[in-house]
Amino acid sequence: MRDRGPANRAFFLSAVILVAFVAPQAAFAHILQGEQGGFGAGFAHPLTGPDHFLAMFAVGLWGAQMGGRSVWTLPVTFPLIMVLGGVAGMLGLPFVGVEIGIAVSILALGAAIAFGWHPVEWAALCLIAFFALCHGYAHGAELPLSTDPADYAIGFVLATGMIHIFGIGVGLALHKPMGGRLARGLGALIALGGIYFLGAAVLSA
Amino acid sequence: MAPLSFPPEPARLYRFGGPALAALGVAAIALIVLPPAAAESPLAWWIVNSALTPERLLPLLGLGVALALTGPRIALAALLLFCIGIVFGFVAHKELLEPLTKMPQAATHHFLTGPIASIAVGLALIPPARWRAAVLPLLAFIAGCMLALAIVVTDPSLDDPTNRIAGVTIGLWVVVVVMLTLRAFHRPWFAVFSRILGSWLIAIGLLYGGVALMPRKAPPPPPPIPDLNPLPDFDRSRPQTLPQ
Repeated sequence: MRDRGPANRAFFLSAVILVAFVAPQAAFAHILQGEQGGFGAGFAHPLTGPDHFLAMFAVGLWGAQMGGRSVWTLPVTFPLIMVLGGVAGMLGLPFVGVEIGIAVSILALGAAIAFGWHPVEWAALCLIAFFALCHGYAHGAELPLSTDPADYAIGFVLATGMIHIFGIGVGLALHKPMGGRLARGLGALIALGGIYFLGAAVLSA
Repeated sequence: MAPLSFPPEPARLYRFGGPALAALGVAAIALIVLPPAAAESPLAWWIVNSALTPERLLPLLGLGVALALTGPRIALAALLLFCIGIVFGFVAHKELLEPLTKMPQAATHHFLTGPIASIAVGLALIPPARWRAAVLPLLAFIAGCMLALAIVVTDPSLDDPTNRIAGVTIGLWVVVVVMLTLRAFHRPWFAVFSRILGSWLIAIGLLYGGVALMPRKAPPPPPPIPDLNPLPDFDRSRPQTLPQ
């Protein structure tokens, strides 16, 4: 019998971390208002904003599940396109339904992982790029309000990248054991989170 | 367990040279920036608030990673060009800063030296190994120039060379420590990590640059403060409504 201990531990650890991040602070997602801080506030925001955390984690997890070049092309594309959304947010350009787009990103990425969907790379990148625009816009709109926008941006992007790497690590650890079902289970949990955020976004719209 | 030999074997020296250099540097910085030495010189303040800020360290960390992932000859050439870039930045800082002064709020973002260095190093980290080898020396030169300019524009002493020497030493120390450590403990996943790091650096550079050039929005006004003193001010108003 194969030893499934490490994979199971990785799955439960990831599930616990997801729930711990998401559950208590779900109500605080993307409602930053007023003056923000510098590097510390920027670094903490993706880690304490559960919608952002879940989406970033799912990007890494999905890339690892797809394998090949996608392990790095998805997490590399996300911040680069996020910058475009960020600039649009800073300029105050109109972007309707950003919160719904963010919630849909969590739902879609979770569902893609749960169903083991492996599209061609360009299709996955287009999907990631659209979601990155939504996330970037939301954060770009907040940036000029921070006391030190530059340090806020540095902390924010660093934390985002670390969540990607965490997602890749978990995805690679759960890729082979039990035929990848553990990774799919995490994807289902993420999709459930997406449904919650979508409901909240629709109700508040 | 193999007995320790002295002098150390070249392989062990190579493997642990980076971590040892890192420990030495941390100890030296701690001696300078922690009391009682910190109280005697503005150098300690400058190191903490300029040389060791995330804006300054991130491009240097990225450059160290890029140097670690290229062949030894290219890495040495790029390191040499990084040093030449530093010298060039100090010598030609007036000419290099002149076009940057035309940007809005130039002094508040250190003439965009941080964003330019971040984007340059990020561009060196993302491409495949062959392309990286081709562009790394030039981008290392740009990073060196930006380090020198950042030291010049943040140096509060104007003429005292101590800050410049400290800034260059810390910059070189970061690059060399990261390069030696990652080379000695190389893992296949470093290639994936380096590309993700490169995308972070480009994103940071673009966002930082964009934010720095953007006019600051005023925060939303606070809600009006309710009148907490419902009692009339008896001392200052005359009771004119009362009958005489």
